[in-house]
Amino acid sequence: MMAGIYVHIPFCKSKCSYCDFTSYPDKLCYAESYMACVYREMSFRSDELKGRSFDTLYIGGGTPSVIDESYIGMLVASARKNFSLSKDAEVTIELNPGTVTADKISFYKKCGINRFSVGLQSAIDGQLEDIGRIHTAQDFKDCAALLKGENFNADVLIGLKGQTAGDVVYTIDFAAEAGASHISMYALTPEDGTPIYTDYLNGELPDGDEVASLYEAGYARLKELGFVRYEVSNFCKPGKGSLHNLNYWRRGEYIGFGVSASSCIDNVRFTNTFDLDEYFKCILSGHLPVITSEEIDEEGRKEEFVMLALRTSFGLDASEYKRRFGGDFFKDYSAALKKTSRWLDVSGNNVRIKDEFLFVQNSIIVEFLEG
Amino acid sequence: MKKPSQYIRNFCIIAHIDHGKSTLADRIMELTGQVSERDMEDQLLDSMDIERERGITIKLTPVRMFYSADDGKEYVFNLIDTPGHVDFTYEVSRSLAACEGAVLVVDASQGIEAQTLANVYLALENDLEILPVINKIDLPSARPEEAKKEIEDVIGLDASYAPLVSAKEGVNIKEILEDIVRYFPAPQGDLDAPLKALIFDSYYDNYKGVILFVRVKDGEVKKGDRIKTFRSDKIYEVTEVGVFAPGLYEKSGLSAGEVGYIAASIKSIQDVAVGDTVINAERPAAEPLPGYKKVQPVVFCGIYPLDGSKFNDLKEALIKLRLNDASLVFEPDNSVALGFGFRCGFLGLLHMEIIQERIEREFSLDIITTAPSVSYKVVKTDGSELFVDNPSHLPPQSEIEHMEEPIVKVDIYSPPDYLGPIMDLCREKRGVFKEMTYLDANRVRLVYEMPLNEIIFEFFDSVKSRTRGYASFDYELIGYSTSKLVKLDILLNGEECDALSMIVHEDSAYLRGRSLCENLKDAIPRQLFEIPVQAAIGGRIIARETVKAMRKDVLAKCYGGDITRKKKLLEKQKEGKKRMRTIGSVEVPSEVFMQILKTNKD
Repeated sequence: MMAGIYVHIPFCKSKCSYCDFTSYPDKLCYAESYMACVYREMSFRSDELKGRSFDTLYIGGGTPSVIDESYIGMLVASARKNFSLSKDAEVTIELNPGTVTADKISFYKKCGINRFSVGLQSAIDGQLEDIGRIHTAQDFKDCAALLKGENFNADVLIGLKGQTAGDVVYTIDFAAEAGASHISMYALTPEDGTPIYTDYLNGELPDGDEVASLYEAGYARLKELGFVRYEVSNFCKPGKGSLHNLNYWRRGEYIGFGVSASSCIDNVRFTNTFDLDEYFKCILSGHLPVITSEEIDEEGRKEEFVMLALRTSFGLDASEYKRRFGGDFFKDYSAALKKTSRWLDVSGNNVRIKDEFLFVQNSIIVEFLEG
Repeated sequence: MKKPSQYIRNFCIIAHIDHGKSTLADRIMELTGQVSERDMEDQLLDSMDIERERGITIKLTPVRMFYSADDGKEYVFNLIDTPGHVDFTYEVSRSLAACEGAVLVVDASQGIEAQTLANVYLALENDLEILPVINKIDLPSARPEEAKKEIEDVIGLDASYAPLVSAKEGVNIKEILEDIVRYFPAPQGDLDAPLKALIFDSYYDNYKGVILFVRVKDGEVKKGDRIKTFRSDKIYEVTEVGVFAPGLYEKSGLSAGEVGYIAASIKSIQDVAVGDTVINAERPAAEPLPGYKKVQPVVFCGIYPLDGSKFNDLKEALIKLRLNDASLVFEPDNSVALGFGFRCGFLGLLHMEIIQERIEREFSLDIITTAPSVSYKVVKTDGSELFVDNPSHLPPQSEIEHMEEPIVKVDIYSPPDYLGPIMDLCREKRGVFKEMTYLDANRVRLVYEMPLNEIIFEFFDSVKSRTRGYASFDYELIGYSTSKLVKLDILLNGEECDALSMIVHEDSAYLRGRSLCENLKDAIPRQLFEIPVQAAIGGRIIARETVKAMRKDVLAKCYGGDITRKKKLLEKQKEGKKRMRTIGSVEVPSEVFMQILKTNKD
């Protein structure tokens, strides 16, 4: 089975109004110390994970591209030094179009980074400004030009204030034209505590039905452009799916470093502290910065396996289920399968949610939960 | 013939709800030293939580007191507190049969109200002496002279000597006690005659078995006596007799004229019905006491456990409640939508509400109740007749020759300002105007005849809201009348939902159907498919709404750190589904069955 490494870079130039991640727009000065701590945290885990081989490294944030590129170089080196990361591993970094230069990109490439994920969100400047992005549509175009020929993703948000289906299609066309081989189209989730939440409370954001329409318009356009949906929010040109993310949905193992990073190793899921100071204190005193840890029992593993598999377009492989849990999926879940049969495609060992119902998957998956 | 003690006074207090009956009872107990002021808890006789919270009396409660009167003699007072609400008239009539006198409490600012009259008539039927008392004279709005005049004009009682009191402030309470001694007769009866004791209430005690509340009319009863009731052959040995002080207080015996309790290890309440006469098994009396009119339930509804597996718990709860509420009737029922439950009959809407609340509180059971219904008389084409209170038991339309519905006489008391709104409401509710009397410049009594069916749907709330709470009303069943009634069915996704069916008048069927569909549309959560919500009469659709299919239900991002959250979200969703009932393929939250009853939009 595959395994992945995630590193969280909690710095950015300015916080976007929808952002609920751990990220500090005013603490860039700590970047050096922080990265030193991340390298150290990796060394803490080195022995424990010795026998494992990793297939992907994902550097996310925050805005990883906001810190000096040399730290990224050292990060990749540190990951390779401490863990067995395969030679042809997928190594991804997230970029904000407002923070890149030609030198940076070429340096990333030299470090062995072979996949890029660029936050576009919208190709309409008014909307970008509205949600507090620091870049323009042109910045994205410029960034994409630097990534010419590379495997890169563009993030697109749906559910923005005043957004129309035409806006979504325009944004997708914009990203595809710029050469993106992968597009993630996420529905905005207004989280309590973010500035955009007040927009939501005041009914200024599109409601569920409207978001569904935006999604349908975007999905239709992506199909026309030759993108394949492989997960509810992820679309790629054939063969360009994100291995790192696929690993999550296959319930593979992953180890996370940095503040707020999550891991799942040996069926124990644990999460690092969300607080930067606490993270420093832990690492500098030689401790792991883990604050919550939960062992997933067999029932929980099955639930996660089903829940994650069904969110992908590939669906669930009953033979894989048998391999992992030793049971017959069709027997173990006969009641749920019967109840949801009109929304499923079942062929041989494969069970998947029908295309048109992937966006209402919770109602279907919930039937597969125990109790 | 040996007469009972001349120093006993058995009486009750009757009043309209809220006129201060329970407070007055408390004061009387305080003054007779029954309870020290220190131990005094407000409204001592209202022992149920619901009674205290709502400030109403539901159950009658007896208590014995001693009073040293101004004539130098010591008297035994047996006071039986009674409920004031129209639904509990039954309880009132039971306590009246155990008394010789009734203290009629009238609020000095509100005067005579619907229930005042109803209770006075009941007391007069039972040949009780009535002592009017004007209460709440401490209120600035008190107008005692007008209240007195109203008593004289409306009831025809001489109220000139009526004590003016404030139960709240404890003013002039002694005057009432002296009047009780002076005006109420001592009990009649024969101490030497064979035992005759009227059972006016009972409850079940885990250790002593059924406790009978009795008024001894003739003879005596003591521990060790072998007794039976008139209507049953089972013989019991008395294990304990006593009086209410206000708790159970054992005595060596009870004799004619006294009020007290009997315990005789009686295991089943069925053998000792309230209203029956207790007699001595060795020396049985020949004739029973008159007893009570058996009351018929007038309002019905289905009660189902929210959790289907709790059927037996619900059954247990209903059986226990019936022990001290003989007016509650129920039988097992089965609904396609709600599973196994009970069809229950009540004396009125408040009674229904109280029982529902007691089930939830005293037995910690979550229940689903269906729309209240009344009992309809169905005359079939073959000439046979039957009574139907459950819409889903109605025979097919083709077999029905005609239907009759219960009609009530409604007395409404209101300030004249609200006559217009009240008359509009009564018209909407198919009421037929009968008469209008001005009681005085500020009060009017309106009499309507109206289908009971219309009263059980929010009539009470409408009367109150349209008169800003000033009007009160009372109703009594006067008979059945032929009516154009139809069964209104609700179809969800094409499937009939039996628990939502109701019997309505043809003229209001369309409006009712439309508002039901509208309410259901809002109450049923969106599902993965479109759900037509239809109202139909005999297969013909008369209204339709649509619950649109859900289009978005997904956590957009689900990476390493989101998995736990996503799982929790789904678990919560699953939890919510547990409170749903499945009708065909549609999931309906249990609350819907109650919410949609709110059909009236005022």
